[in-house]
Order: sequence, then C-alpha cells, then structure tokens
Amino acid sequence: MGLLSWGDKGWGDELALATLMTLAVASCAFLLGLVFGSLGATAKLSRIRPLVLLADAYTTVLRGIPELLVIYLLFFGGGGALRFVVKMFGYDGYVELNAFTTGVIAIGIVNGAYSTEAIRGAVLAVPKGQIEAAKAYGMPPWTMFRRILAPQVLRYALPSLGNVWQLCLKETALISVTGLVEIMRQSTIGAGSTKQPFTFYACAAVLYLVLTSLSSLGFARAERWADRGVRRS
Amino acid sequence: MTDTTFEVRDIHKRFGALEVLKGISLKARDGDVISIIGASGSGKSTLLRCINMLEVPDRGEIRVAGEVIRLGDGAKPDRRQVDRMRTRLGMVFQSFNLWTHLTILENVIEAPVHVQKRPRQECVDEAVKLLEKVGIADKRDHYPVHLSGGQQQRAAIARALAMRPQVLLFDEPTSALDPELVGEVLRVIRQLAQEGRTMLIVTHELRFAREVSTRTIFLHEGRVEEDGPPDQVLVTPKSERCGQFIAAHY
Repeated sequence: MGLLSWGDKGWGDELALATLMTLAVASCAFLLGLVFGSLGATAKLSRIRPLVLLADAYTTVLRGIPELLVIYLLFFGGGGALRFVVKMFGYDGYVELNAFTTGVIAIGIVNGAYSTEAIRGAVLAVPKGQIEAAKAYGMPPWTMFRRILAPQVLRYALPSLGNVWQLCLKETALISVTGLVEIMRQSTIGAGSTKQPFTFYACAAVLYLVLTSLSSLGFARAERWADRGVRRS
Repeated sequence: MTDTTFEVRDIHKRFGALEVLKGISLKARDGDVISIIGASGSGKSTLLRCINMLEVPDRGEIRVAGEVIRLGDGAKPDRRQVDRMRTRLGMVFQSFNLWTHLTILENVIEAPVHVQKRPRQECVDEAVKLLEKVGIADKRDHYPVHLSGGQQQRAAIARALAMRPQVLLFDEPTSALDPELVGEVLRVIRQLAQEGRTMLIVTHELRFAREVSTRTIFLHEGRVEEDGPPDQVLVTPKSERCGQFIAAHY
C-alpha cells in the first residue's frame, strides 16, 4: 500500500490530482452539454423546420457514433479547423486545441445530444395548464420562463440529467487517449512504471465509484428539493 | 356606476373547419354577475378563453378598462397590451391550475409581485387576508397537491382576487370537483357576488346561476340564443332549445 502513499515515493497525490482533473473535465463537459441541450431542446420545440432538422441531425449523429470516435475526430480535426478560423481573422501562427479543451468539447457535444432529449421531454411534461395560468395572469414570456417553466422543467429533467452526468463522468476515461492526465491515464502510467496494473486499475475503479456514488447522493437530494410540492409515488 | 367595465363585440373563433363562435357580443356593467350556460360544444368555454386571449379570436373586439383590442384581417394583437389587459381579468380555471412548485401563499402573491411589481410585504398581507376570506388561511404554506380540490379552487380564487381584477372570469369552476366539495366553492363565489364584483361565470350549476347572477346567457352553436334576467332565461325561456336544455339539466 506504500504505492498509494502521498509524496515522492507514492502515487497518492498524483491520483488525487488526476481525480480533480476528471471532475474538472466532467463538470465543464456537463455544463457545456447543458448549454447544447438547452439550445437543442429549444430548436426541437421551436416548430421552425430548419431548426428542428438541424437539432434532429445533431442528436441522431452524436448519439449514433462512438464517443471515442468523436474524441479522435476533434483531436485530429479540431486543430485544423481552429487554425482555419483564426487564419480568417488574419492570424498566421500555430494554434492547437489542448487535450483538456478537446475533451470538454467532445464529451460536451455528445452529452448535449442526450441532454437535448432530457430537456425536451421535461418541457413536454409540464402540464399545459401551468403555462396557461401564467399567461392568464399577464406574465411576460421571460417572467413566465424564469418563474414557472424553468423550475418545473428542472423537476422533470433532473432524473435524466443525473444519468447524463454519470455517463459524462465515465466518458472522461476516454479522454486518456489524448494524453490528458485524469484518473484513467494516471492509472495507466502508474501501472506501467510499477508493473502492478491490478492495483492501479482497482484503485481507479474505486475512485470512479466514489465520484459516481457521491453524485448519485447529490442528485437524489436535488430531486427531493425540486420535487417539493409533488407527491412521490 | 353604470359605466361599461367590459365589452366584447362580434367575436368569431374557428378551429379548423369548425366555427365555434359565430359572432358574440356581450356587455357588462360594474357589479354584473353574468352566468353563461349551454350544452358542451356550445362555445361557452371558448368564449371565456377568447376574452382573455388564451384563444385568439379570429375577429372581434375586446374592451376592458380602457384597453381596446381589435382583431381580424390578420391584425396581430400587441403582446404588452394583451398582458396588461389580462392583469385586469382574474381567471379561475376548471382544473384550478395552481402552480405546483409554489406554496399556496406563493401562488397568491406570484403575479402581484412579479407581474404587477407591487411591494412583496403588501402582497403577503393582502394574500393572508384573501386566504382567510376563502377559508384556507391555515394552508398558506402547503403545496397545492396537499389540498382537496375544493381547497385548491378556493386558493385559485384567492390568487385571482390578489390581482385586484376588474372582472373575474370563472370557467366551470366546480366541474372538476367531487359533489361534496362543490358547495364550499359556490359559497365563496356567492359571497363575491354579494360584494358587487363583476363576474362572468361559465357553469353547469343552473340553480346556482339563477341564485347569484344578475343576467344569464344561453349559448347555442356559437351564438347567443337567449339573454336576460336569470328568472326569465332559466324559468320561462323563449327559445325552444333553451327550454330543452333547462328541462334536461335543472
């Protein structure tokens, strides 16, 4: 167990840092996914045909190809695209997407596709009468969104968004292929240099489990809070 | 006061091929309690929903407290004006439609605070009085789901009153209630009628309509078929269809 100790001799501090990195990638990707998800759901519900088609294409494609492939596409293609864009703005130097940004964007757009469906379903689940009452009381659209629609959408979306978050956490392991030192990558390094792969991979499994269990607890609390005023079946 | 507080002229509304309202005009003065009766499909709920623009009429004119909204020939109603008008019309729905994520007190102060932008404390004080008036002051911190239908509907009436509306609109306020809960809601509406509130009530409770209204309107296939004092419309109707309807429902 000296292997996992803190400091120069052990891997404890490296693994702790890697866990923070996993959390950072997952959080940023999840938030980015929520942004994409809100936009996607808005587009799908807009009844504006081009927007609906675009959002349909987005969710179909990104739910239909492996996440690893999205990461590769972005990692190898993203830099070129970025250089093309900055060139249009007159900058000629070399720029590239770093591993962290690539990871966040890749997982973010994949999870955005799942969030789109979660949010769309939640909006449709809000009873029409709730919105009608808001209209009948003269609420302007933004007030209605903020005070009535959003809290209720959140309530219906939270369980599915909890799932999206769990997926998000686990998908960060795929980012290790780009060299970003998160839990998975750090374990591989540790396993390689100590010839004790089982110890390190078991340790990684425990770390993921801790993260997912804690977030399950967190989401359960959030759901209880959002469900105030609704009888649980 | 004899001022017209409320008037609609020549309201038309069509859903696809079905013309639900075929030109309805209606005028109310301060303190009028107008009951609107008719068979299902006669357009009475649609009429009420056209008045506060939950359904946008295809044609017609609505006047409430100085606001005039004209519709027809593709004229788009001005959203701000519609919102302003709606704050003058307190709507009570058949299925209550209390906001499920807010407590009863929060439901009552929601629109006064966030739409009318009145000081929160003033709204809370007024809300407490209104909840006392409808007899559910002890439920102020409960969520709607924990109340019976009758209590929810009384809360919804308090919510409507909190806007200090010029006209109250009731869309079949007792139709979704268990029979034993109808009485408590009707008692509250009766009290409002006695206070001289201007109200439009779409209802199936003919006995109640006769007792509280100053005027009764019978709708048939999107037209006003009979209009007069409740004793006349509900007891000695001139139209044959109105007579049949009353014979079947009284």
